[in-house]
Amino acid sequence: MKTLAPIAALAAAAVVSAPAFAADLTVAFPAAASQGRIMVALFDSEANYGGEGQPARHAVVDAAAGETRVVFEGLPDGDYAIRAFHDLNGDGRMNTNPFGMPIEPYAFSNNAVGVMGPATWERAKFAAAAAAAVQTIDLK
Amino acid sequence: MTPSRRSFLMAAAALSAAVATPEMVRAAAALDAAESADWAIATRDVEDDVARRAMRLVHGRAPAGLSGALYRNGPGKFRRPGGSATHWFDGDGLIRAFRVEDGQATLEARFADTPKRRWESEIDAVVTPGFGTKGDDRAKVGSNDDANAANTAVMVAGDQVWALWEAGSPLAMESSDLSSRGFVALRDDLKGMPFQPHPRYDPDGTVWNVGLAGDRAVIWRLNPDRSLNDARIVRLPRASYMHDFTATDRHLILVLQPWLFERHGAPVISGLAWRPEQGTQVMVLDKDDLTKSRIYELPGFFHFHLGDAWAEGDGAIRFDVAASADPRFAVDGARVLVEGHGVVPGDPARLALITLRPDGRAEMFTSAAVGEFPKSDPRRAGLARSLTVHTAGETRGRPLPTGLAVQDWTAGRSQGFDFGGHQIVEETVFVPKPGATAEKEAWLVGPSINLREGRTELHVYDAAHVDDGPVATWAADIALPAGFHGVWAG
Repeated sequence: MKTLAPIAALAAAAVVSAPAFAADLTVAFPAAASQGRIMVALFDSEANYGGEGQPARHAVVDAAAGETRVVFEGLPDGDYAIRAFHDLNGDGRMNTNPFGMPIEPYAFSNNAVGVMGPATWERAKFAAAAAAAVQTIDLK
Repeated sequence: MTPSRRSFLMAAAALSAAVATPEMVRAAAALDAAESADWAIATRDVEDDVARRAMRLVHGRAPAGLSGALYRNGPGKFRRPGGSATHWFDGDGLIRAFRVEDGQATLEARFADTPKRRWESEIDAVVTPGFGTKGDDRAKVGSNDDANAANTAVMVAGDQVWALWEAGSPLAMESSDLSSRGFVALRDDLKGMPFQPHPRYDPDGTVWNVGLAGDRAVIWRLNPDRSLNDARIVRLPRASYMHDFTATDRHLILVLQPWLFERHGAPVISGLAWRPEQGTQVMVLDKDDLTKSRIYELPGFFHFHLGDAWAEGDGAIRFDVAASADPRFAVDGARVLVEGHGVVPGDPARLALITLRPDGRAEMFTSAAVGEFPKSDPRRAGLARSLTVHTAGETRGRPLPTGLAVQDWTAGRSQGFDFGGHQIVEETVFVPKPGATAEKEAWLVGPSINLREGRTELHVYDAAHVDDGPVATWAADIALPAGFHGVWAG
């Protein structure tokens, strides 16, 4: 009995201090050209994805150096969506033609597509769960 | 609805124990007629590419020296189980090649391989918003080229032909077998800029074109080898629907009709408002300095198509136009054509000649010639000319051409040929006779749909004697739906 209490206390402490779930999310762009950089923004709510807030995480994939993927570690459980574009000319901006159409490749998680606009949160969202999650994205 | 009503009528006749009365037979026949008009084949669906096949000479003799290909484009697929296009302008582009060599003719046709067609084939539903088709949220439109039907016209570019559409990029296809090679970006930063279906040509082979976004236009200038020379954005005085433009050797001419984009929506026509009281503005731009322009005012009229323009000795600019009073055909007529039955709304267009005078006055003379699809001598593009060949025979309620005519603006005369109601005649182009320079020294080449025989035909006429009818006709073993615009490659 005397040994049980410290072990129980340790076990209780372990349960309280760990996060509820922690997912690692791999975002891969297998078909991306080896040029420039891929800008990846990961959003954790519909409001933030829609522009009302900041991305929960962001990353730059150095496509010119041959990188094609990024891993976001320790994500709290929940729904996420990704906006990504391929900055081919390295100017840090999504370039457009004179009539405002994007001329650099871009994509959303689930390879979701909008109708003459960004894909909706409903179409782009996916769940980060305890098991490792992978998003394979085709930039167009 | 209709099959069950017909069978009700027949069942009622049987129940009444009387032989079906003439009235009942007529009523049943009328219900059958509501299923499809005789012209419905003009908007039929083609399911697969059409492999090259020989055409059979069924009339006359092939002129010696006629050698080349007529490439044409037009919508070839409208309906799918999960949803259909509801407007003539929204079907999938089907590019046709009529090749003539040593008196023999062949026909082949291949669909433009577009993202729209691939997605809609995969889900077997037409879902993409278009000119008149609303579409729905199954559409995948990340950019204008995702909605590109590549269905309106075709131009020659070296070993390729480019399928053209109003609101997106050209789609390159191999001339030899019409296989698709992807959208054309004339420069990386101009990817997706619209390239309209009616490019105009300078005497030296320079190609001019426009693309629109509201009240802004991109003016394209291509070298004869189809590489980009320049692309410039120009501000327009209004946001008109503009399908075509024209040019003299020195000026570009934009006809800004009072069908105005008051908002942007799906389909395109839902955002357009007809405001005839605002008149038509004709904007003339100097090819050497696009910042220099002049505006002329004319009464409001509707048009799709213009003829090549030219300058008179005193500096007046002239061009012809197939003009209508309003856009009823564009909105409702083109919808009824896809429905395949009924009376088609909209009065047929008539040829009119517009003169822009050096003192700023503008005049419009409307001729008696009913017609559309005006074409003229490519040797005289942008230069003084007299002749315009156009389709003819369109009537109110049935605006489908039954013949063609040549308008001589200098002589003030028209000569034509009419096949009768069993033919739907398509755009017919000038093919200059080899080595000849006179305007009338040309053939006129264009197809028709023979409704009686259920087949596509290709006709050659002599431009100097169009009233004699075709000098040669070849017949195919299939009927393709009606096309829009094409080009001869000799």
